[in-house]
Amino acid sequence: MDKIIISVLILLGSFFILVAAIGILRFKDLYARLHATTKATSFGLLLLLVGVSLFFNIFPVYVKSLLIIIFIFLTAPLAAHTIAKSFTGNGENSENTAENK
Amino acid sequence: MTETVPDIVLSIAFAFLMIAMIITLIRLFKGPSVNDRIAAMDLIASIIMGVILVYLVLINNAMYFDVPVIISLISFIGTIAVSTYLKQKNG
Repeated sequence: MDKIIISVLILLGSFFILVAAIGILRFKDLYARLHATTKATSFGLLLLLVGVSLFFNIFPVYVKSLLIIIFIFLTAPLAAHTIAKSFTGNGENSENTAENK
Repeated sequence: MTETVPDIVLSIAFAFLMIAMIITLIRLFKGPSVNDRIAAMDLIASIIMGVILVYLVLINNAMYFDVPVIISLISFIGTIAVSTYLKQKNG
């Protein structure tokens, strides 16, 4: 039973990271690409970390896993926001965005 | 803890992550702007974290669990540094 839960968590985590990669290839706009990557990657890594922590089931792994989860969920939106802010300031890139719409 | 995950699960997870890595590398080489390439680099760091986590389950040993902590820290700092440099250069 434990094994089944861990397997499902690991498979779902890898699948969500794959979905994020498909999103960064297929979407037309930088904002759509950021929308795909930042959320799907955070969720996939959350599932992977929970699965690996349940697999090892010792205290230091739980602490480090919680640390990574908190840090990722704090910094992934910040990184996406900074990339988007640096995109709008550029003249030729905003022209490129209007062409893609 | 003593139960092991079947090998087919780990193989499928590695296959998903490797396909994701190839797709992201295509975007990294093709990307029209520098910002697309920064987003692709950020995603590559996350994919490498996933590969290391699945590899920990494969070798059944938690000795590399510090590596994803450091990768998450360094990836964030690198993304912020390059984005801020681009913003100051263009504006």
